[in-house]
Amino acid sequence: MVGVTMFACIFAFLLHHIPHHIERQVLCLPKYSFKGGVHPLHSQHEGKLPTRNAPIRDFVSDSVVIPMSMHLGAPSKPCVSKGDHVKIGQLIGEPVGGLGLPVHASISGEVTAVEPRLITGAGPVMCVCIQNDFADEWVDGIQGYGNVETVDPALIVPAIKAAGICGMGGASFPAHVKLTLPEGKTCDTIILNGAECETFLTADYRLMIEEPRRVVDGLRAEMRALGVKRGVIAIEDNKMEAIESMRKAAAGREGVEIAVLRTKYPQGGEKQLIHAVTGRQVPSGKLPIEVHTIVTNVATAAAIADAVIDGKPLISRITTVTGKVVNPSNLRVRIGTVVADMIGECGGYSEEAAKIVMGGGMTGVCTANADIPIAKANGGIVVYNEKDAKSVDEEPCIRCARCVQACPMGLDPYKLKHLCDAGNLEGAKANHVMDCILCGCCSYACPSRRWLTAAFKNTKDAIAAAARRK
Amino acid sequence: MSLYMSTAPHVRSPQNTRSLMGDVLIALAPTTIAGIYFFGVSAAIVVALATASAILFEYLWQKLTHKTIRIGDLSAAVTGLLVGLNLPPTAPWWLPIIGSGLAIILVKQLFGGIGDNFVNPALAARGILLASWPVRMTAFVLPTCFSGADATTSATVLAGYEASYMDMFLGNIPGCIGEVCKAAILLGFLYMLVRGVITWRIPVTFLAVVFVFSAILGNDPLQAILCGGVMLGAVFMATDYTTSPMSAKGQFIYAAGCGIIVVIIRNFCNYPEGVTYAILVMNIVTPLLDKYVKPRLYGRLKEEKANG
Amino acid sequence: MAKKEKTVSSVFFNGILNENPTLRLVLGICPTLASTTSASNAVGMGLAATFVLVGSNVVISLLRNIIPDKIRIPAFVVIICTFVTLVEMLVKAFVPALYASLGMFIPLIVVNCIILARAEAFASKNGVLLSAADGLGMGAGFTLAITVIGIVRELLGNGSVFGLSLFGEGFEPMLLSIMAPGGFLVFGLVLGVANYFMNKAEKKKTEEKGVIRA
Repeated sequence: MVGVTMFACIFAFLLHHIPHHIERQVLCLPKYSFKGGVHPLHSQHEGKLPTRNAPIRDFVSDSVVIPMSMHLGAPSKPCVSKGDHVKIGQLIGEPVGGLGLPVHASISGEVTAVEPRLITGAGPVMCVCIQNDFADEWVDGIQGYGNVETVDPALIVPAIKAAGICGMGGASFPAHVKLTLPEGKTCDTIILNGAECETFLTADYRLMIEEPRRVVDGLRAEMRALGVKRGVIAIEDNKMEAIESMRKAAAGREGVEIAVLRTKYPQGGEKQLIHAVTGRQVPSGKLPIEVHTIVTNVATAAAIADAVIDGKPLISRITTVTGKVVNPSNLRVRIGTVVADMIGECGGYSEEAAKIVMGGGMTGVCTANADIPIAKANGGIVVYNEKDAKSVDEEPCIRCARCVQACPMGLDPYKLKHLCDAGNLEGAKANHVMDCILCGCCSYACPSRRWLTAAFKNTKDAIAAAARRK
Repeated sequence: MSLYMSTAPHVRSPQNTRSLMGDVLIALAPTTIAGIYFFGVSAAIVVALATASAILFEYLWQKLTHKTIRIGDLSAAVTGLLVGLNLPPTAPWWLPIIGSGLAIILVKQLFGGIGDNFVNPALAARGILLASWPVRMTAFVLPTCFSGADATTSATVLAGYEASYMDMFLGNIPGCIGEVCKAAILLGFLYMLVRGVITWRIPVTFLAVVFVFSAILGNDPLQAILCGGVMLGAVFMATDYTTSPMSAKGQFIYAAGCGIIVVIIRNFCNYPEGVTYAILVMNIVTPLLDKYVKPRLYGRLKEEKANG
Repeated sequence: MAKKEKTVSSVFFNGILNENPTLRLVLGICPTLASTTSASNAVGMGLAATFVLVGSNVVISLLRNIIPDKIRIPAFVVIICTFVTLVEMLVKAFVPALYASLGMFIPLIVVNCIILARAEAFASKNGVLLSAADGLGMGAGFTLAITVIGIVRELLGNGSVFGLSLFGEGFEPMLLSIMAPGGFLVFGLVLGVANYFMNKAEKKKTEEKGVIRA
């Protein structure tokens, strides 16, 4: 009897400490998941340890630089000029074109400049710079509908559009466009992406723990706008606290359920998430609506709740500042806050910074300096030291098949890399390079340190450019 | 402040070529020690000569052809060690040196170096040695275990030597240095599994197919996987990254092919053992498997059905 | 570039170096692999093939204006067969040892593609003297190449060259070298080495020309 108990204890202990790849190969726990993927920084809790227990802290800086292009689509047109006094929520950029979004002042104060500035991953882009007067005055006429359950569904999407909300998970697709069904399409499920599978980031995690009601309200608003009966909030199983918090908030809300996902990168990739939750696969080159599904980020849902209930435009977001900073934090910052100010708020650099990444470790974009502003879709800032930032030389491919096993899209990255390096666009296209979601799993897994994802990105850009020229 | 700029991802797996090869070396350590325990100093000399000369050949070749010197990735050491473990303990001093030379220069470097060889270098070298010096390569002796007794020439289990399952498992039988001790090989296999160096697919499928197919043909299935070089081949040779298929499905087919050919050679050919040739043949089939057996693409289920 | 005038010596050396049938054109691989198990076999095969080459080239060149275009290949084959039969009988009568070791491969010279290729590509378009020089050059190139391969294979596989033991009693020959796979291996290596040096020489030549022109 004692022996059996002891054996059971040892077995349970082993089960708990079993390496993740063994778990993947042998145990195959029945949770929502997808094929492929990797476990980046698994031994360091995905790099989330420094900030996962740091409560959201408000931070208002002395000045902001608000880019006119924070969304997919044409840049907005500035409608204020130097010397104007603006209040919080005041319209400063008018939408242009079908995918355009309005831009609002995120602080009150004087406009010091309207000029092109560098922003993340692009630039220079027209920006409105505002000096804070700390009066914290809201513009007149901010009026919401009070309750997402009673508002007329037809009013929801216009309210979202007026609030200037775009996808806050990274792709920055205008939310009102996503929530407008194309002709002849139907939607039966809305998935809220709370997976936050990206390394280092904990902004969504803290949001789900501290403000779960906003998230659920946002989901209900989306569901009611489209008349959808099923709303799923998908969270990875390493975020038990967030799962509990969301469960409590979702209790009693019509059609809202929580899906627990296995912790694996890129669990929060749109296509992977849809497959994990619904078992459906988005056809190549098509949008999720093809399979009657819409995916939005939890942060977007919270912004939608603010827009519908209070009528507030999107003027702030939660961003994780981590890596080599003295005091890694989750900050609620105004849109347009400059990175250097945020790092200052976190106590400054703890080591000499060698690389600053906007976003997480797997998909983030490098910046050339710390003077660029936070846009609506920036969920994180990661500071690297010299040791971690140094890029390594490519070694010859040893055909270890790790990239093939890791690719969540079922591609042959090793082969694509050869084709891309040779500049063979046609061959790369025939081998489905356009299906690549640039998740970075192959580059992460490669023991020869080959720049696979970079080659695919360049090739995809080149193919897209060639298609535009035609 | 000057910052590095690079494209995503900004985190890389801790595994690199050197760490993987180092792990293989560690996994081979029990097998090597067991071989030396059973066959004495001569086995140690053979293994040491093979490993050292493989590293030296790689270094010299890369030096002479003005290529980047990559002996630091330890792949030459792995190849050399495997060449040594695939030789009988009675091998004369020049056999491991020629074997490593053939493996490194003829099979590996002439085809482009690491990652470009089309067959497993250690196995191809063993194949050439076996065809060139058949008597030397099959001069097996009974284990001496440092008893001081003179080595007695003996046939292997496959050629008629009688041994208990326990002796076959622990390695107390005549054979090549590395192939006798199955317990040590399994220990290495477990280590590589836990460290994530290889997956279970190829070794387990290989051994299972040999087991089942031998049973079907009326051989003793347990003896079939415990004797000869099947275990060493399945765990350390067939799993060579470069010469095994990339997709999971391809790996299953490859391993099953290896197993079937081994049993066919053992039962219907003149050779008592066929692991070397079985794996070499499947190595050559690998590019074909990579071309036609691919992982299923995401989002193309309907397309496949519509077209197929 | 103006086409170079063909002279007897240029045609002859062309066959040995630039268009060496074995090492540059990679023709006649079957006899190359089969008859290079020893250096003397290789020389015998080379000489026999050279005799047939010269003979058939000369006769075909003489008859080139008479042979109708449509049936030229059968006609060439008949001529080549004649010479092969001649060679077979001569070898059988005067060098029975060589006949014993080469055996089947002597009548198989008929299908040696070097001979038909030269008949088609050269002899049927050029005069008798040039054709004879081409046959001789090609034959010499073939003989040279397969003798080198034969020497290497015999040295490795038997420890001897032309039957002369070089290493003494202690040497253990590498049997594979005189088996079929060894033929492929040594042929591949010799091919690689020869082309490495020829390409290097060619590169040097073009560079020199470039300098002069500049």
